[in-house]
Amino acid sequence: MATTALLAAILEQTAPILLAALAAMITLRANILNVAVEGMMLVGAFVAIAVGAATGSAPLALLAALVASVLMSQLLALMTLGFSADFIVAGLGINLLAAGGSLFALEWFYQSPGGLRPLAFPDIWHVPAGSLGFLPVIGPALEGQSIIVLAAFLAVPLLAVFLYRTPLGAYLRAAGEDEHAARSAGIDVARMKALSLAISGLLAGLAGAQLSMDKLHFFLPDMTSGRGFIGLAATLFGGGQPWITAAASLLFGFFGALGDRLQAFSIPSQFVLMLPYLAAIIGLAVARWRAHVRSRPAKLNARRG
Amino acid sequence: MAGVLIGTLKAIRAPLAAILLTLALGFVLVAFITDDPVQAYRDLLFANFDSVGNFALFLNRATPLLLIALGVIFSFRAGIFNVGGEGQLYAGAIATTVIGVMLGGLSPLILFPLAVAGGILAGAFLGWIPATLKIRLGVDEVVTTLMLNIIVLLFTSYLSNQVIRDTASYGAVSQMLPASIWLPDLPGVRGATSGIIVALVLAGVTWLVLFRTEWGAQLRASGTNLRFAKSVGIPADRRIITAMLVAGGFGGLAGALYVLGIGHRFEQNFSPDYGLVGLTCALLARVHPIGAVATSIFYAMMINGAAYMQISTDVPRSLVDLLTGLLVLLMTARPKLKWGRS
Amino acid sequence: MNEHDEILTLSAIAKNFGDKVALKHVDLSVRRGAVHVICGENGAGKSTLMNILAGIHQPSAGTIQLNGRAVTIPDPITASRLGIGMVHQHFTLVPSMTVAENIYLGRHIRKYGLFSDRKAMTGRAAELIERFNFRLDAEAPVRSLSVGQRQRVEILKALAFDAELLILDEPTAVLTPPEVDELIGIIDGLRSRGRTILFITHKLREVKAVSDVVTVIRRGESISTYPTATVSETDIARDMVGRNVFLVGRGDSAEPRRFGAPVLSLDGVSVTNSTGRLLLDAVSLDIRAGEIVGIAGVDGNGQTELAEAIVGLIETQAGTITLNGRDITTASVPERLQAGMGFVPEDRLDRGLSITMSVAENLAATNYSRAGLTRSGLVDVARRDEFASEKIAEFDVRGAVPATPAGQLSGGNMQKLVIARELNRDPDLLVICQPTRGLDIGAAEFIYSRMMAAADRGRAVLLISSELSEIFALSDRIGVMYSGQLLKVLDRKHADEVGVGQLMNGGVTAEAA
Repeated sequence: MATTALLAAILEQTAPILLAALAAMITLRANILNVAVEGMMLVGAFVAIAVGAATGSAPLALLAALVASVLMSQLLALMTLGFSADFIVAGLGINLLAAGGSLFALEWFYQSPGGLRPLAFPDIWHVPAGSLGFLPVIGPALEGQSIIVLAAFLAVPLLAVFLYRTPLGAYLRAAGEDEHAARSAGIDVARMKALSLAISGLLAGLAGAQLSMDKLHFFLPDMTSGRGFIGLAATLFGGGQPWITAAASLLFGFFGALGDRLQAFSIPSQFVLMLPYLAAIIGLAVARWRAHVRSRPAKLNARRG
Repeated sequence: MAGVLIGTLKAIRAPLAAILLTLALGFVLVAFITDDPVQAYRDLLFANFDSVGNFALFLNRATPLLLIALGVIFSFRAGIFNVGGEGQLYAGAIATTVIGVMLGGLSPLILFPLAVAGGILAGAFLGWIPATLKIRLGVDEVVTTLMLNIIVLLFTSYLSNQVIRDTASYGAVSQMLPASIWLPDLPGVRGATSGIIVALVLAGVTWLVLFRTEWGAQLRASGTNLRFAKSVGIPADRRIITAMLVAGGFGGLAGALYVLGIGHRFEQNFSPDYGLVGLTCALLARVHPIGAVATSIFYAMMINGAAYMQISTDVPRSLVDLLTGLLVLLMTARPKLKWGRS
Repeated sequence: MNEHDEILTLSAIAKNFGDKVALKHVDLSVRRGAVHVICGENGAGKSTLMNILAGIHQPSAGTIQLNGRAVTIPDPITASRLGIGMVHQHFTLVPSMTVAENIYLGRHIRKYGLFSDRKAMTGRAAELIERFNFRLDAEAPVRSLSVGQRQRVEILKALAFDAELLILDEPTAVLTPPEVDELIGIIDGLRSRGRTILFITHKLREVKAVSDVVTVIRRGESISTYPTATVSETDIARDMVGRNVFLVGRGDSAEPRRFGAPVLSLDGVSVTNSTGRLLLDAVSLDIRAGEIVGIAGVDGNGQTELAEAIVGLIETQAGTITLNGRDITTASVPERLQAGMGFVPEDRLDRGLSITMSVAENLAATNYSRAGLTRSGLVDVARRDEFASEKIAEFDVRGAVPATPAGQLSGGNMQKLVIARELNRDPDLLVICQPTRGLDIGAAEFIYSRMMAAADRGRAVLLISSELSEIFALSDRIGVMYSGQLLKVLDRKHADEVGVGQLMNGGVTAEAA
């Protein structure tokens, strides 16, 4: 029973991180370091609550969240690909815009700078209790999870298939790996990058909606609390590979779920929360170090002196 | 003289356009909200000068912004895309606080320099990590500085919550620093930190070092073309790492001066994203230290003035956050022009 | 020759980039099924010509006829639709993808409309490999292939889309000698299958080995066309270089020059890359005071590494380097420059200058202490600008004031800037690489006169150039680099261009010196 509860907690903690990680992964494959995942998530979280409260419809709320975050991603695409703004600076701009914009809307429209807590909010679809009893361990853990959690885990194979089994995915990877080669094969590199950003926006929107719609039914200005960056860390740790990225996200979700429980053992939660970021730095440093060692000039044979 | 003016105008054309465009968009938004948009904008920019108190608060905003911007300028001039200003700021602030609180019994003559040096060193250490990883292994510095920001914020959160927390206060705030090492107010402006003098002097020093010393020329050469720098015998790796030490040190100093001169204690949420706004100021000033004085002042006016605008009109202060987002998004964009060259 | 025998006819093709003339007047007719070599020195306009055929550049004047019809080639896609396949010097392959995926990049075969049919692509790629006998694994990732194998993938990419006319741009530049032989075999095979091949090179040996027809281009003009069987390498070399191109030269003095003690000595210097290949293979060389030693060689045979090892930009794995009797093998770049070295790198944009910094700062970079440009620790800006103005006047740098960003100057003026900077310290040894690449004759002559003046002052000069005419005009002794080895150092009086040209291709001298 305790295992199931822990497993359920891990899955729930993992879902937004995993979606954020995949959002960063898909752009990384198009050679974009996407620091704007955090902002796109925040927009998704906010719009989901705002639209859900206004319409009383969960599907509409989810749809609106996705549309909003994809629009943000395309704003970033327009500035960077259309007007050659710097990807990092403009991405940070998206984060600031999302934070400032949602805060502004809270203060101005809702007169409630602390957050948005609608009195009534429609429930999103959850896996009914008892419906997956036939699956050992994993079944009960999945029961009660939102449809977005399911979508997050489904997104991993879907993206793997997209990247490695479809022409579009191959062209996207080519555009990211070698622009010159892609262009000479007639691939529209800018369009591929914009596409990767759109998919990124979609995934980030799902992540944001999961945060606000699943259980809480409210929005807080600092709701995403760095999960976009944890996702980025997971992607970098996984070198942009879908399955390794997913595994890293799961690990980070595990840390997250463990974080609260560990405080009982007087390990401060902050140190547990640091782990993803430390892992990303160390993972990158090790990968670069190995490449560095491989590219060093070889020693001469003894025959020459 | 006119030539210099035209040259300067040309150099700041793009950032000026971004600022004006953002302010114009903001004005449209404000006109939508309030009947008196002119009043709102006047307060946003000029209420800072309505009273000594307002002016003091404005200077207190400008100080950390300018220092961080100067640090960013050092790193960018050396070709390092340092987005770690926030982490460096927090590292400096917490180090100064820990030293000040833990060693409170020492004579202020010893404690004060110790606290300042501790802040600077903590920031410099945070600049050294990404620089070394970049130079020795080629690890992307954007990633490391971003990740280090969060790590430092979590670490300070631990310290301020669990180690040096003032249990009598609400929230994550440290105990007070001994008043003996507080930085004095700016003469004649009650409540304004004299740290602004330090920041302004350092802006001049930064300009002098970057543009009037051989060391600065070598640093800039390393930043603009690393292979060129190495070919003309510049120890470029050392220059770049030193530049990041200085950049981190500036961030650390910003944190130290904030704690010593403004907050007098560490508060976990003391920074309204000074790191990123400082970066914005540096980029808007086209990575020029004297220009950064202007942009930091402009930004401090907006951040501080937003509160007065909110009081006098219905416009929420977060308008500034929204505008900052827009500005950062627009700031590096270039209009696509096609002209007739084959 | 029959009209429809010609697959491609170019008439009076010209191309300007701004006010720089890349091609003046090129006529060319290529017979179907032939291997046609375009031969010329670096900068003669070969690559521009090929880029015009590949749709990358548009001609400023002239007409292109393909199979007897006038065509325009606005972009690479159109070129490939017209049956022109281009194999660039720099490969356009995605390393993580397989051979088959690379061949079909941008034109994947699909199944169910949405998915890539990898089986079909691999199958067809394997068929193609089989048909042309290319010996490749269709499923191997390109990352794991050798350079020669990658080149075959590039060729297959063109063949997969029914290229009638295949353009190979300097295909042997990146290959090892055995790989070159293999490529020549492949070209023979393609010819026997009816493909037409346009082969661009500046290596004489390949011209003879591979082609049916050869056209020589010099300084943007087509000079001559011969059936390969009836022309000698000497004739081709003469047409490539031309006569009296360079008006000044060191020439022979009435009495033999006297040289001083060795300034630079290399003894068995070797440099390896990460795979253990020798980029420099036990190079030994002395350069004496007052002497200009020219190093000839086709690009990529170790000349760049030689210069960088001497200056200290790359580590050596064996041997010693001595400057004025002092062992500097492990000295840093600043120490070497301090000890009396000047360095003019082969690419001024890459290593020579910072294009965003001002002319004054570029000139000052190595001269702050030498020229007294600092005062009590600070740069004396007035003095620095005055210094820059002097150099601008002395070296006739056009269109520059001290504050001009270096990137705004023309290539020749940038080069003058680099040379002005390096000569200011009057170094005992000047290492100068490709000093006139891309320059007009006036600028080139100016630079020659400066180099000769330095030698006359008793300085040692190491000149590295792939322009044979330049090497011959300036050098007292001539060394030839091939595949990382310094093959031979000849006295110029005993050297001739054909012999050196053969050495550059790794051959032996026809007329033994």
